[in-house]
Amino acid sequence: MTTLRAFTCDDLFRFNNINLDPLTETYGIPFYLQYLAHWPEYFIVAEAPGGELMGYSECRCSGGNVLMLCVFTVMGKAEGSVAREEWHGHVTALSVAPEFRRLGLAAKLMELLEEISEKKGGFFVDLFVRVSNQVAVNMYKQLGYSVYRTVLEYYSASSGEPDEDAYDMRKALSRDTEKKSVIPLPHPVRPEDIE
Amino acid sequence: ADYLDNGNNKMAIQQADKLLKKHKDLHCAKVLKAIGLQRTGKQDEAYALAQEVAALEPTDDNSLQALTILYREMHRPELVTKLYEAAVKKVPNSEEYHSHLFMAYARVGEYKKMQQAGMALYKIVPKNPYYFWSVMSLIMQSISAQDENLSKTMFLPLAERMVEKMVKEDKIEAEAEVELYYMILERLEKYKEALDVVRGKLGEKLTSELQSRENKCMAMYKKLRRWPECNALSRRLLLKNSDDWQFYITYFDSVFQLIDESWTPPAEEEHCVEGEVHCSVEQAVEFIEERITEESKSSRPLRGPYLAKLELIRRLRHRGCNDGYKLGDPEELMFQYFKKFGDKPCCFTDLKVFVDLLPPSQYTKFIQQLLEVIPLSGAAENEVALPGDIKALQQHLCVVQLSRLLGIYHAMDKKEKLTVVRELMFRYRHGLEFGKSCLKTELQFSDYYCLLAVHLLLDLWLEGEEAAVWQCLTLLEEGLAHSPSNAQFKLLLIRIYCRLGAFEPVAELYSSLDAKHIQHDTIGYLLTRYAESLGHYAAASQSCNFALRFFHSNQKDTSEYIIQAYKYGAFEKIPEFIAFRNRLNSSLHFAQVRTERMLLDLLLEANISTSLEESIKSMSLSPEEDDIPWKDLRDNRDLTVLFNWDPKDRDISEEHRKLSLEEETLWLRIRSLTLRLVSGLPTLSHTVQPKNSEKAAENGISSRIDTIRALLQQLEAAVDSGKKFLEQKIQYPVLGPPPTRMAGFLSSGSCQCQTSLFYLVSDIYELDTNGLEDSAEIQERIGNSFKSLVERLTDLFNKCKGDLIEVRDGTLKTHPNLLENLVFFVETISIALWVSSYCDGVLRPFKSNLQKKKKKKKESSVAMPPVFTHFLDYVTELQTLTSNVIDHIKRLEIFLTALKLEELSLRDTLLLQEEKKFTKTVQGKVQSSYHHSIQEIGELLKKRLDTIKKLKI
Repeated sequence: MTTLRAFTCDDLFRFNNINLDPLTETYGIPFYLQYLAHWPEYFIVAEAPGGELMGYSECRCSGGNVLMLCVFTVMGKAEGSVAREEWHGHVTALSVAPEFRRLGLAAKLMELLEEISEKKGGFFVDLFVRVSNQVAVNMYKQLGYSVYRTVLEYYSASSGEPDEDAYDMRKALSRDTEKKSVIPLPHPVRPEDIE
Repeated sequence: ADYLDNGNNKMAIQQADKLLKKHKDLHCAKVLKAIGLQRTGKQDEAYALAQEVAALEPTDDNSLQALTILYREMHRPELVTKLYEAAVKKVPNSEEYHSHLFMAYARVGEYKKMQQAGMALYKIVPKNPYYFWSVMSLIMQSISAQDENLSKTMFLPLAERMVEKMVKEDKIEAEAEVELYYMILERLEKYKEALDVVRGKLGEKLTSELQSRENKCMAMYKKLRRWPECNALSRRLLLKNSDDWQFYITYFDSVFQLIDESWTPPAEEEHCVEGEVHCSVEQAVEFIEERITEESKSSRPLRGPYLAKLELIRRLRHRGCNDGYKLGDPEELMFQYFKKFGDKPCCFTDLKVFVDLLPPSQYTKFIQQLLEVIPLSGAAENEVALPGDIKALQQHLCVVQLSRLLGIYHAMDKKEKLTVVRELMFRYRHGLEFGKSCLKTELQFSDYYCLLAVHLLLDLWLEGEEAAVWQCLTLLEEGLAHSPSNAQFKLLLIRIYCRLGAFEPVAELYSSLDAKHIQHDTIGYLLTRYAESLGHYAAASQSCNFALRFFHSNQKDTSEYIIQAYKYGAFEKIPEFIAFRNRLNSSLHFAQVRTERMLLDLLLEANISTSLEESIKSMSLSPEEDDIPWKDLRDNRDLTVLFNWDPKDRDISEEHRKLSLEEETLWLRIRSLTLRLVSGLPTLSHTVQPKNSEKAAENGISSRIDTIRALLQQLEAAVDSGKKFLEQKIQYPVLGPPPTRMAGFLSSGSCQCQTSLFYLVSDIYELDTNGLEDSAEIQERIGNSFKSLVERLTDLFNKCKGDLIEVRDGTLKTHPNLLENLVFFVETISIALWVSSYCDGVLRPFKSNLQKKKKKKKESSVAMPPVFTHFLDYVTELQTLTSNVIDHIKRLEIFLTALKLEELSLRDTLLLQEEKKFTKTVQGKVQSSYHHSIQEIGELLKKRLDTIKKLKI
């Protein structure tokens, strides 16, 4: 039982119960504003009846390369990436406060993001997750995602510890009828090689 | 340019110089050189060079872009607008330059010029976005207009007409344009028209956001009080998703509105455009029951329908209808809910909303009823029955949380409470079994047991049980060892250590929370409230710096994304971003760290490493300037970041928040006035020569003393308000907002000392302007002030005396107030010395004049005026007093080092063997922290003592 609504700047003042979790990164203001400016409809929060924030997820659609970041804007151009079947939804962050876990909330938010990406005509949805975050990896697997490739040392560690690898996980959408987008790559890639 | 990118600014300057030798007027090279100069700290040269180029009104892309970068780095975005204004004049058909001009205006918020620039762009290149940029600029003019009438009668109608024109010409292309149209109509309160747009053909474009059309329709129905439509639409949305709480709320709101209006559906046609309407309690009851039946068929259990039923009961009770509708007994329904969802961590939060429905006489029975259905095993006589799996543990935890919420633990006596603590800790340790495979980043399933046990111990502590607080820390440290990522453990440890006066462990705990960016504003208060007041000056400096860095970057960061929002047509986000920027700029915490940071810098440096005058100059402080937005201060603190399960009457209330903000504001006012008064000291001295003529200088100084006197009056008034506030003796909940330092400031006598010191400044000024002759009365006044100041400072020192940590009846007791008073002493003596140094500056010339006279006249009859002796005595007394305090601090240090805590913990009977290890750690941390405080305070005081020696005339 949740209220799903768009994320607003004021939520930044209230998300401590979610963000003090060690696996949830608190980003600088530009991070949030950038997504709110480009894809406000993709930044969703779930609110409990008492008004506590339960979790939020952020997803964006982007084409194959950096230039395509502006695809969903008034002035952007989307054709190129559609032709290359790289047009997809990307989950940037998905986090649920500890008390509201085990409710299928993450699954519900993922469904929503998939629905939006379907509507926008994407070929697949993808996300990055820490290799060590087994809970999340298993959850995504249950939701139909599979590991497309490993990105070496994608997450920079704080003090002295080695950088951590990420899985790039994907799920094909209905537009990708042959499910070409999720065929796993045989070799891991470096962060600088991903588009 | 490559050199600039690599950060090699010197090479960049050299290369640019080389180029300039060959091509004397290569604009771009000049600008690149200017960037190099700017980055190597030569701002003035850089600015001059840039203006040289700008004056030529360049139109080449490279120069323009480089200048834009330079101006941005100089924090002079307004210069960019000038640049492009000139450029579009010269190249009037450039889409690019016009669009740069628009964005440059956007950066500085020149809405009217944006509107014109947008239209100019549209005339050159008729693209829709440009047109709508112009429309949006009108909305921004309306938002920023002081005159609401003007905004409603001019800006918004104009914006509306502009959009209507496009609609008529069938030129609307994008969703963003429809959103903008809706936004205008909504702001004009033309809800009916807005509704027509959303429901009409244009509304078909609203597809990005989820249920965008439905949400907008609903908002308009509510504004128009069209309850039938509200009802029908929310009903329909609930049929689609019976778990979305917001629609239950609208559904119930509308049903009861319709009942109150005695609305009846039309006999023949459809109820309303949105379909069927429910307008009676019977229908609502039936609808909710249906949702529950439907839910039982769904694969994923939904909490919404069950909670909706409880919500309906609550609303019916509120209207005085008691159970006429066979909805069932809330107690039973909550019991059923627990059976269904008790193993979910959120069950407690869900039920918390509805516990008001239970009669207090039933609390114990209700809890008992819940306990009975939890599968616990191993319940032999006198033994704690334990859960066999995580689900049972979760259910049990839910009951424990509810027990606390219902006040069952609060009603217990000490012995019973301790028994519960034991049981909870037993359960906590048992529960760790289920989490053996948990990663470091995961929480343990049984963590809440530990937290709840600590909350009980905190209750005991507040009731006077000294030992309990040590046990709190012990259990939390134990918990943290098993669950190193638990933020709640850390936060609670932070609060308790601070209460005990131990800041050292806090710094580490806080940094392990990895709080960053916006969290500096929301939870930074946990650090900044205590670091300085407990004498951890270095840590205080650091935490202020982190926070300030965040706030300062806000301005630049938000402007960038306001621009992006224009580019991407996220128009509704533009006012939101601006409001967000304002909220951060007027943050209470921002104003506090700004003020405290400067006070701290002065305290640590002024007249030690640099002169007071230089310090103040480098902070660009001036007594006349007040940059705190008093009327708009925003309290962005997250005061509920720590969990608690307290009953409503003990919980943090709106009233507490209001009072805390009031207290913080009063305290901030005192601090800010103190800072401004101190910053006024050097302006009074003769050594500061204004550039203007002597006469103006004369006026200048006399108006400066007026400023100081006015500030002093304001300070007195602020102190009075502070006193009045404190008379209310407000007690915030222990985990609620921390009280400010104001109470200590007043009770220690530090406040009186500081105000007297500023009065003294005024007297000395009078002596200065009056001269030594015929000033017996002033001199006597000054002499008396000196005497009473010494007495007051001695009193303040007396309030610092006593042992910081004391062993009583086998438990430790800390006296953080002694530490806080010491810190106040150091601050006050520092102000006393700054004032003395002003006094010294005034007396010294008098003395040398007198000595000259003496020599000239060769007479011994020129008597030394009494003020010199008074001052000399005063300075000597200050020196003695400071030495005494330093000696006292040395004794404290020796005592702290000698204090043997190990023996102590062994004597404590409350503790289990395995806990002792943690108790030892905890006590060691507190001891070491006090040691650290004393050292920092002592060192600073020694430095201050050295400065006294310079004051002897």
